[in-house]
Amino acid sequence: VKLTSSEGTEFIIDRKVAEKSVLLKNMLEDVGESDMAIPLPNVTGPILNKVIDYCTHHRDDPFVSQEDDSKKVSDDIDDWDAEFCKVDQGTLFELILSANYLDIKPLLDLTCKTVANMIKGKTPDEIRKTFNITNDFTPEEEEHVRKENEWCEER
Amino acid sequence: MPELMENILNHLSNESYSLYSCALVSRHWCKMSIPTLWRDPFSFNQKPMFISRYFSFLSDDDKFILNECGITVDFPNTLFNYAKFLKVLDLSLLDDKVQEWIDSQIINLQKHISKYDIFNLLFKLFIESGAILTKLDVHLTDVIIESEVFYSLGRNNLFFSRLQDISVEVATELFGIGEAITLLRILARNTTKINTLKLNILNNESLMYRAVANIIKSQNQLKRFDLICETELHKEFYCIVSALESQRKSLQEIKIWNCDYSAEFEVLMKCENLKVVRIIDCFEEKKLLNILNTSLYNINTLEISSYAINAPDIMQILERSGLLLQRLKVYSEDHEICSQSILLDTLITFCPNIMYLYISYVKFSSQLLKLINCLQKLQFLTLVWINDGSEEEMKERVMQLAKLLPQSLQYLNLGDIWVNSHIDILLNHCEAPLKKLLFSINYDNDYEKTIDALIRFCIRKKSLNDVNVSRYVNKTTYVFRFRISSVSNTNWKRVQKDLEGFVNLVPYESIVVDC
Repeated sequence: VKLTSSEGTEFIIDRKVAEKSVLLKNMLEDVGESDMAIPLPNVTGPILNKVIDYCTHHRDDPFVSQEDDSKKVSDDIDDWDAEFCKVDQGTLFELILSANYLDIKPLLDLTCKTVANMIKGKTPDEIRKTFNITNDFTPEEEEHVRKENEWCEER
Repeated sequence: MPELMENILNHLSNESYSLYSCALVSRHWCKMSIPTLWRDPFSFNQKPMFISRYFSFLSDDDKFILNECGITVDFPNTLFNYAKFLKVLDLSLLDDKVQEWIDSQIINLQKHISKYDIFNLLFKLFIESGAILTKLDVHLTDVIIESEVFYSLGRNNLFFSRLQDISVEVATELFGIGEAITLLRILARNTTKINTLKLNILNNESLMYRAVANIIKSQNQLKRFDLICETELHKEFYCIVSALESQRKSLQEIKIWNCDYSAEFEVLMKCENLKVVRIIDCFEEKKLLNILNTSLYNINTLEISSYAINAPDIMQILERSGLLLQRLKVYSEDHEICSQSILLDTLITFCPNIMYLYISYVKFSSQLLKLINCLQKLQFLTLVWINDGSEEEMKERVMQLAKLLPQSLQYLNLGDIWVNSHIDILLNHCEAPLKKLLFSINYDNDYEKTIDALIRFCIRKKSLNDVNVSRYVNKTTYVFRFRISSVSNTNWKRVQKDLEGFVNLVPYESIVVDC
């Protein structure tokens, strides 16, 4: 299967690897056998490269349906996946967007889980620093939110 | 993108403190995280002080009831209508948390308020606030649901309309049987999207059986069905099983627990997509297994638990499942598995793709070792063997087992072995990159050498993250066994101290992996 990234770089991958993406799987089923490259205007070359690495490593994993998300917990990332996610924040967010666009649920869950782990146990200020977010609350608003949810402070 | 932020926050749904921090980051983060925080607040461990936050959205009449009882909350307007965010409701947790809240308010109360009054006020508030549930746990014991709640349910069909997961437990003695049946009938009327239904029916009321059967028939695609029941229930109970006929194309997973056999179970022969089968402590289980023998070819997960397993009863299912079988639990509770060599032979010949294996009780035979050697995709292994050789022979077999464990293995549970499993020998010779390990030791005889072997394994393999250590005590005629977390704190602290810096010592519940 041929894929073209947003800059026009061409990638050739096994059909089984491509089919980890529900978007590509549906496209391939609709189009049938073809030499035409599938354009992926929303995915850059370096990110597509990472996505292909992920799909190749997990090519034999069983299919996970959209409904199998009853047990979302943010620990339990295996070693290969943890290593795969050791990237800068920009890359991690681009991987989330690509996994969402290409409809690769396990990759979307993995990358979202990784971001969730970056949030876990942090104070509001630490979260702001981690993701470079400006606090746009007025002091009164912030106090109001705090008061209504202060029951969470008991850890 | 909001849905991606929601996905990230969903991974924190058990972390109230983290969600609370998110809510205080910025206005946008607040809007995104508050719905997740308030989706299932009754499940958090904190004291349920959040209950008073719901009160500002009560009707004036309901506020008057609270005021009369001296609940002098001034009901200020809250930033959000928190009741609207509720997605998961467990009625017995609601009941418990309301009682806890009343206990915390006791000094302010001017007159007695029944927990059922607040339970019903809140239940009605959730329905009328526009909440749409996805999961509901109904434990029908002594909860009294008032007619006003049913009236609200009648006017707010959306409340149950997107339920995907329901658990219904009906106790033997039920105070409000009429109310329970009314609730079940409303569920049958207002739900179509349930994919998981868990029933625990201990009551002999036939009208209730029909209401439950109607819930099953109303669904578009029921995928998972658990049935726990009592023996000798009324014959009409089996209309619940017959109702599965309507779900024969969608049903993928079934658990039958403590049920008597009845011909209605033959409906399972038509369930062509059944992939997961669990038969636990059923009477006349052989007949249930016969149904599966004649029908199903796609089972990837099989769990059979019984006080005494007879291997020939499950042999054909295993043969037919063959390459598809990935998870297998054969749990013979009180007796050694009967004709176990047939079981082991069948697995060796037909089921090489097993990645989860739980087997109890078996002899620690060369055939068992041969099976382990054949399972090259094995990731999770629980073995409960009985010693049938001399001490030296057992040591030799443990060493062989250690060398045979495949590189794919990450979880090894030998914690249920009540005899000396020679875990020190196993750890000294094991090359599998284990991440989780459960075992038992005798504190009097084996402690030092076992802990030493464990530490050496941690240093050598660098893979082990979590370990659970339980304890057995050999007496002349008895073997006692305890989970360490429930026994002596001193022992727990001793192990924890010795393993510090090498591996996490964790409670059984947080490490054990079910089939």
